[in-house]
Amino acid sequence: MKIDFSLVTRRTFLNTIFGGWLAAFIGGSFYGLLKFAFPTLGKEPDFVILKPEDFLNIPTNSVKPFAWGGKLGLFFKHSDGKTVALKGVCTHMECNITYLPQDKKFYCACHKGWFDENGKNIEGPPPKPLEFFDVSVEGDKLIVAKKGIKVELPKA
Amino acid sequence: MNCPRLKSWFSERYNFDEIRDLAKQKFVPNHKYEIWYYTGGITLFLFIIQFITGIVLSFYYIPYFEHAHKSIIEIVTKLNMGWFFRSLHHWGAQIAIVMLFIHVWSTLLLKAYRKPREFIWVSGFILLGIAIFFGLSGYLLLWDERAFAAVRVATGGAGNFPVVGGFIKAFLRGGIDVTGDTLTRFYAFHVSVLPLITFCLIGLHVILVQYHGMSVPISVEKEKLKETPFFPNFVYKDLIIWLIVLGIVVTLATLAPPEIGKKADPLAPAPENIKPEWYFLFLFQTLKLFPGEILGMNGETIAILLISAGILFFFLIPFFDRKSQRGERSTLFTWIGIIYFLYFVIMTVIGFIS
Amino acid sequence: MKRIFTALAGIFISATDLFAQQDKIDVFPTVPYERFIVYQNLFIFWIGIIGLIVIIKMKLREIERIQKMGIDKEGKDIPVLD
Repeated sequence: MKIDFSLVTRRTFLNTIFGGWLAAFIGGSFYGLLKFAFPTLGKEPDFVILKPEDFLNIPTNSVKPFAWGGKLGLFFKHSDGKTVALKGVCTHMECNITYLPQDKKFYCACHKGWFDENGKNIEGPPPKPLEFFDVSVEGDKLIVAKKGIKVELPKA
Repeated sequence: MNCPRLKSWFSERYNFDEIRDLAKQKFVPNHKYEIWYYTGGITLFLFIIQFITGIVLSFYYIPYFEHAHKSIIEIVTKLNMGWFFRSLHHWGAQIAIVMLFIHVWSTLLLKAYRKPREFIWVSGFILLGIAIFFGLSGYLLLWDERAFAAVRVATGGAGNFPVVGGFIKAFLRGGIDVTGDTLTRFYAFHVSVLPLITFCLIGLHVILVQYHGMSVPISVEKEKLKETPFFPNFVYKDLIIWLIVLGIVVTLATLAPPEIGKKADPLAPAPENIKPEWYFLFLFQTLKLFPGEILGMNGETIAILLISAGILFFFLIPFFDRKSQRGERSTLFTWIGIIYFLYFVIMTVIGFIS
Repeated sequence: MKRIFTALAGIFISATDLFAQQDKIDVFPTVPYERFIVYQNLFIFWIGIIGLIVIIKMKLREIERIQKMGIDKEGKDIPVLD
């Protein structure tokens, strides 16, 4: 149906799409800027200190959970005795994962995601491998730290 | 956006008509060199980007020498899009200095400095020096090995000025050597002193441009030129160019984020093949040309005197170029401008290759 | 004897320092998943910029059309940025 007169003037039309697109562009750019300017609340710790006797003697091919800030951390002993620590959080939607010793894999029940014993995402929706930590023992302390962080203990 | 009620609320209290009429009178002449008119605006836009990214980075950067390097690593690894804003700040700085040089040389070769616009050149030249100092002070804030050695060389070089050299060096360094005090001082320069001075000088520079109008090169001055109004035509053209520049800088920032080296150790030897930032390379190379001693006098001091003379002459070109002051074509000074440009480019390239 | 000892100690200490080299610091997300998001966002950003440029060019065409007709001189209250 052809109408005789345009519903809006050219000026209104141009100014509207200009203003709208400009608002979206600036809004999007400032969103990124603000995400940077306002840091995420509830940052994770740089490192946690555990008691060595509680963790170093767990049986092979098993995990023991520990607190990583408010999230789950897993202390894992491979079948060959090697010990590592990782964040027990699925990289898909942040559910807690579990270790299945008979399959030697980590499993996330939320959407049936699977990780192998090195944390690599092998099946299901998880897009990234699991996050591992650096483990070290200093005297009577077991230190689990984020990778790359230099831990400085207070001289108590 | 119309909002007539909002407009009438303001117009009942303030008379905007004069400002509007003034704005409507600003025109930009059309001729074959008009593309160079954009360079000043692009440089301004890039400096605005630097202000914004600098402000947000300063929320997280710690200007104490013990923590400076680590705070940058934290910004880059831990914070949301931290790597991006640091990269944007880095690339914004590089492109801003490139555009600044293009702007300076285009005004030089098109003789925009001639009468009556000498003060625009003077304020612009001071701004150039400030921009270079911005680059130097910002670079030290990294506090990695390269930055530390580069600042040592730069402030040490300043110390070779006769008579005032020692004083300048001590003022810049905050002491005898480059230390944590230097970092604090350079941070103060970079974040408060230089921005304030820049703000005032850019204000003066832009107001003078409005007062005098756009300069037209001598070769096209005689023709009767068409003009486009600044509001709204040129504003939109400027905006298009600025958007393209923003896209380029963002792309560079995303695809080529800068590295950060090991934390600086004042007692460690200088790393191999240390080189200053690219816009200092031509000075660096020039210094290398001079032998250690000339006729019993310190070679470096002579080099610095000659370089200063060269820069001083550059600064005073509007006052030396009598022909262009009279409105005549001045090919001598065009050649001088080209020689300065070629010297800069060639020495920079040699500095890169060696 | 003391000198030889201190020299050897110095060599050993600087040798161990070689192993203490920092790993290269990641200045860009390494995980491919995050990389894709970054490149996607760059692409969307460019779409935004090109869209804005197209719209501004449309506005400029309209402004020049009006100015050629000369009707912009008519009213006193015409907005400065049309």
